[in-house]
Amino acid sequence: MAQKNNSPWVDYVIFGLTIFLIFCLIFESFIDLPGLVAWMGRWHPLILHFPIVLLLMAAALGLFNRIVPNVLLTIATLSALVTAITGFFLGTESAPKGDLIFWHQWMGAGVAFLAVVWYWLSNNHLQQTYLVKGIQVVLILLVGLTGHYGGMITHGEDFLAWPKSKKLEKIPENPLIYEHIVHRVLDNSCIGCHNPNKTKGELLMTSIDELIKGGESGPALVIGDPVNSELIRRLHLPVEDEEHMPPEGKKPLSDNEIQILERWIALGASDTLKLSDLDNSEPLVGLVKKMMDSGTTNSWAKLPKVMDSTLQNLASDYITIKRISSNSQALSISVFLPPDYNSKNITDLKRISNNIIELDLSGIPIGEKEMELVAMCKNLEWLEVDRTPITDAEFIKLSGLAQLRVLKAYETGITDKSVAVLKDLKGLKSLYVWETQISGDGFAQLKEALPNLQLDYGIDPELKTEFIQKDSIVDSIQ
Amino acid sequence: MEEDKSKSENPLKVNRRHFFSQLSVGIGSLALGSLLIPDLFKGGKGPVASQPLGIPHFAPKAKRVIYLFQSGAPSQLESFDYKPTLVKRMGEDLPESIRNGQRLTGMTAGQDKFPLMPSAAKFSQHGKSGAWVSEFFPHIAKIADEICIVKSMHTEAINHDPAITFFQTGSQQSGRPSMGSWMSYGLGSENQNLPSFVVLTSRGKGNSQGLYSKLWSSGFLDSKHQGVLLRSGKDPVLYLNDPEGLSRSDKRHLLDHVSSLNKIHHVETGDDEIESRIAQYEMAYRMQMSVPDVMDIKKEPESIIKLYGEESQVPGTYAANCLQARRLAENGVRFIQLYHQGWDQHGNLPNEMAGQAKDVDQASAALILDLKQRGMLEDTLVIWGGEFGRTNYCQGNFDPKNYGRDHHPRAFSIWMAGGGIKPGITYGETDEFGYNIVKNPVHINDFHATIMNNLGLDHEQLIYKYQGRRFRLTDVAGNVVNDILT
Repeated sequence: MAQKNNSPWVDYVIFGLTIFLIFCLIFESFIDLPGLVAWMGRWHPLILHFPIVLLLMAAALGLFNRIVPNVLLTIATLSALVTAITGFFLGTESAPKGDLIFWHQWMGAGVAFLAVVWYWLSNNHLQQTYLVKGIQVVLILLVGLTGHYGGMITHGEDFLAWPKSKKLEKIPENPLIYEHIVHRVLDNSCIGCHNPNKTKGELLMTSIDELIKGGESGPALVIGDPVNSELIRRLHLPVEDEEHMPPEGKKPLSDNEIQILERWIALGASDTLKLSDLDNSEPLVGLVKKMMDSGTTNSWAKLPKVMDSTLQNLASDYITIKRISSNSQALSISVFLPPDYNSKNITDLKRISNNIIELDLSGIPIGEKEMELVAMCKNLEWLEVDRTPITDAEFIKLSGLAQLRVLKAYETGITDKSVAVLKDLKGLKSLYVWETQISGDGFAQLKEALPNLQLDYGIDPELKTEFIQKDSIVDSIQ
Repeated sequence: MEEDKSKSENPLKVNRRHFFSQLSVGIGSLALGSLLIPDLFKGGKGPVASQPLGIPHFAPKAKRVIYLFQSGAPSQLESFDYKPTLVKRMGEDLPESIRNGQRLTGMTAGQDKFPLMPSAAKFSQHGKSGAWVSEFFPHIAKIADEICIVKSMHTEAINHDPAITFFQTGSQQSGRPSMGSWMSYGLGSENQNLPSFVVLTSRGKGNSQGLYSKLWSSGFLDSKHQGVLLRSGKDPVLYLNDPEGLSRSDKRHLLDHVSSLNKIHHVETGDDEIESRIAQYEMAYRMQMSVPDVMDIKKEPESIIKLYGEESQVPGTYAANCLQARRLAENGVRFIQLYHQGWDQHGNLPNEMAGQAKDVDQASAALILDLKQRGMLEDTLVIWGGEFGRTNYCQGNFDPKNYGRDHHPRAFSIWMAGGGIKPGITYGETDEFGYNIVKNPVHINDFHATIMNNLGLDHEQLIYKYQGRRFRLTDVAGNVVNDILT
């Protein structure tokens, strides 16, 4: 069973690489890689396949009491070291290191070191000891785990999660508080374990009656009294508590969701209550609206990915491109007038047109070319083309922007002809069109077509006159 | 994140603390011990400020703030907090059960009586919301349905300097970054050609308190986040214009050269302030083009000038600053801080306050109307208020026509509009004496947390580590006031 030793230089290389890896890991924070070396890190995703296959193969052979060919173990060990080192280089590109990279790095280093130890034992004719068997078992596990963490880094943490069958429906404009809001919260977080098929604690949560009936611990819900409702009590317990719901490991409810449940119970846990029935000062209104808003954020989740480098290339001193929030692909763009304006500055944005959610072109001398770009922004929700020279001919390009919520077009040349375009923008909530050529008749048509639209045609004339005429001074105090 | 990057670029920046924490993690993990006990070497919650800078943490309701600061503390009892009880009990001594041990300033500590004094200004209800507004503010009364009046603000500070410092920086002691600087740090600039934090000041005829540049200082944050004071008159920014005979391209060459020298110096020393300085030279170069254009109100039509009041044509007045604030907001300035001095009415309150109110009333209301018609209230948050309130009892001689009020930190009123704040509501309540809050108190920390929330920032996440301590605008407190959000 004795194996022929490799020529000594192989040993030196393995020894050298091991020391280098240890050095890298210890002095991680002091290391500033030259560009070419950092670039070698990019080969990590390619090289890593070798140690996975070779180490698993070698370990399996060993566990089945077969001879592990020396050349196999040598190549496996070398590739493991090179993979760990290139992986380390690649990791330095993303600072700060998240948990995933942290674990991936240390487990990967662990694989490499274990392989080296095995290689060393094997060269010292200890191929068949229990120690080596142990190393082989640990290696198989560690290779699997490292690979899994690496996979999560590239493909996302929930890549291997069970596919979700439920597709969330959009919350209607004026939702029923129970059916569209409360039930959705329960459905997301509770009903999985409290349904007719799986009834934990003998509690069903599929209807209000079942909640009132309760389970092992008594009623889950006391109408009008959130403090004494078991459901709410358990939501507020510390996560470590046995009785906290949802149980540890499941996603807890957000503060907003908990507050919604509380207010709904406090208001009588009705199943007919609608959002519009509530007074504006009722906190539930704000809570529900917040939840509905987060629904719109979700619709941005489907936007194509844009790289930061793309944004940097397209931005300039006069074009500011920002993600609407961190980790979001939704973009907000503001354009300011440069001394030498050229429509190309704006038409270049077509590369990212699908990601543009907010676009501010106020005061820019835009024309047909720029409006063609606007027309390409299918997901646009907020558009400012006020104080621009556009007329009906350009304005027509807006038809088809179904997501448009806010449109500022004051001080432009549009006329009643554009009313037809506006009427088709069904999602429009606010429209600013003062100092345009749209007539009173046009406004009336618009109001009829879009009853929910907030139409702003300037400051109320009566109020404006008061402000302008009476530069009023309070000079008499009784 | 930036901190880590600069450490890897310049080994001199690794301090002892950092060295040891890294060393322990390195060696410990080498033994793979931490695999078994995940939190063994972590000692803390993990990395500071996991959120990237320059981007909101979540989708914002407001992109910018216009803060109309009424320096000196306008009386809530003559503006928005209507207290008929004070009329009924005029001249009676403030009951001890209400004062409840509240400390006094040196100005009234010597008084042996604290006679209750009602408002000299008459109150009436306005708008659909029925908000109470005094006759000192007839224009603001007309926009009552656009604003949210918070009657339950409170603070700990009892004197002007700590109180205004508290409002601006979240701490009574000076040295922390101003809130405008925090916003610039957290959200970055919207327009690269203008500073993201601009300050405009004006002064009324009333009793004034000083304003110091420390109020808009960036504290320990990078100095590029500092507020830029725009002066009235011909040169809004001093020494911004090139000397005669220097062409723009000459200037460009000069800057390029200076910048390359500065970069060499930066490589040698690793001092971040050098980078800030380079950035500021570039900003000034761009501002040479942008500032004159933004500040030129001659482009405004007559009707807009009149809306803000004739005074808006006089540079340096509050009205002019309001109009300027709108123009700056349109041009992507994140945080526009106005100060109007003169609200410290220890005596002669009815006359002085009427004058002060006249200075700001029409322009403040006009700003709201103007922003509204431009659709800017949808993403601009406007705040109006002072640093604390004033006492319900009279300071000095008891004369209903000529009285004064001392500082009162326990309850005062401010208003906000736009930017994700519910319009047409009044929030919070004081007792019938207007002395203590009885419902929905809002502390300055809560106020800051709410503003940050509307700008898309989690006030617990926007952190800067300095001298070994993690700093936030809200320090260790603050709750978002959800009830006033849309």
